[in-house]
This record gives sequence, structure tokens and C-alpha cells, in this order.
Amino acid sequence: SIPTSAEAEADPEQLQKEQHARSMLRETFLRCLLSMANRKVQFNMYEKVKVEATFGASDIDVLNFQVSDLHTPIGVQKEALIRSQDVISFTYDV
Amino acid sequence: MNTCDWPLLGPLQWTSYVNKQVRVKAGKDEEHRGWLLTVDPVSASLVLVDFGLPGKASVQVVMGHAVEEVQVLQEADQETTERLQTSFLPPTPRRLDP
Amino acid sequence: SWRGSAAPPLERPGERRGAEMKKLYGEDSAKIMAMEAAMQLAFDRNCDRKQPKYWPVIPLKL
Repeated sequence: SIPTSAEAEADPEQLQKEQHARSMLRETFLRCLLSMANRKVQFNMYEKVKVEATFGASDIDVLNFQVSDLHTPIGVQKEALIRSQDVISFTYDV
Repeated sequence: MNTCDWPLLGPLQWTSYVNKQVRVKAGKDEEHRGWLLTVDPVSASLVLVDFGLPGKASVQVVMGHAVEEVQVLQEADQETTERLQTSFLPPTPRRLDP
Repeated sequence: SWRGSAAPPLERPGERRGAEMKKLYGEDSAKIMAMEAAMQLAFDRNCDRKQPKYWPVIPLKL
């Protein structure tokens, strides 16, 4: 869970600013994740593992990515879940 | 700035990086450059956009837990800001009534 | 109510989550919750239909 800052606890105006900032950031991020459905994504993972897959969806806590046609070093896995903890970054073109 | 504490910064500080060109070090040896679109307040993950040819862009999502350092390179001008905010995201969904 | 009057009050996790979201997101919390619900639904539906397995089987980062 995400804590609110100490200043925000004390000051309603600060709390509102922080809530607004958090909403803007989260909304843009969610729209971004939603727009990734069916895109080809490259995952850069720990241990220098790089794999490509077609993005499906993420859970809202951003713990798991559901993907299809995952090209692993030993072949294609048709349907897969990738743990976000294994991922450093992922990229795609628009 | 040294931002091993990146996930702890909070919404107001993350917002101060939005629309800026940043260099992000992540994992052991990854480095990414791009315009910061947003930071997920839940996972502290950054979304960077790198513009290529007209109408083309590459999007990089760097997981918050992997961030080692975030450095601001420059501020966006009006045109870049607009391009960033409008170029690839679908239009804002209709506001839901409470 | 189907519960006897002696029963303790029901826990309402939905309501508690609503209150937490309101604290985090303020007046936009309803909108954020609606977007999150849509996203989680898509994730759950895909997982139900496609039955994806974790890859790699063992986490890279323990």
C-alpha cells in the first residue's frame, strides 16, 4: 500500500495537492497499460534475460504481466505470466 | 540525484520529473533516456517516451524496484509537451459520475 | 437480514478499500477505481481463458 506523506496528514491543502498529483500520475499510467494490449513488447529481465511477447494485461498492483507468444530462449510459450519482480524494464514501439 | 529512494519520493516529487527528459539507470547496467510521461504511484515505475521519426515513438517502462538513479537532462518545450501528452495515448475516458 | 441480531457486524472489505482509495486519490477516487476495476477484469478474464503459466518457473530474482 502507498502511504500519504507526513505533511499531507497534517495539512488538508497539502493532502489535496498530493491526491491530485497521485490521481494524474496513476490515470496516465493505467491508460498507458491499457493501450499496450496486443502490442509486441520486449522485456529486459534480471540475469541478462531478454524476451519478446505480445502484451495482454497487467494486474492493478503491477505484480504480474499476462502475455502471449512469449519467445523464451528455449522456444515459444503460448501463454505466460511474467513476474514484475523479474523485470527491469520493458519497451515497445508506437 | 541518487535515487535508490525513488519509490519513496511520493506523488509531488515524481510529478516534478514529468515532461522532462531524463536518464534512468536501472538494474545493474541498463540506462534509458526519454521524456517522462508518468510515474505509477503504486509501483513507482516510470514511463519514458523516446521520439523517433514523425508519428513514431518508443515507450519504455522502467520498474520502480529496479531504479538506481534518475537524472534530469532538460525540460520539454511546449511542442514536446503536447506531443508527449497527446501523441500515443487514447483519448481520456469519459468522466465517470460518482 | 439473514444473520441473527447477535452476530457481529459484517466486515466490508469493499467499503474499507473505498475509504483507502478516497484517502489516496481524493475526489478522483471513483474514476481511478473504475479504471482499475476494468483493468483487473481484463487480467482475470485473460487468465481464466488462457491459463498462463509463470515464466520462468522459478523467479529470477529471489
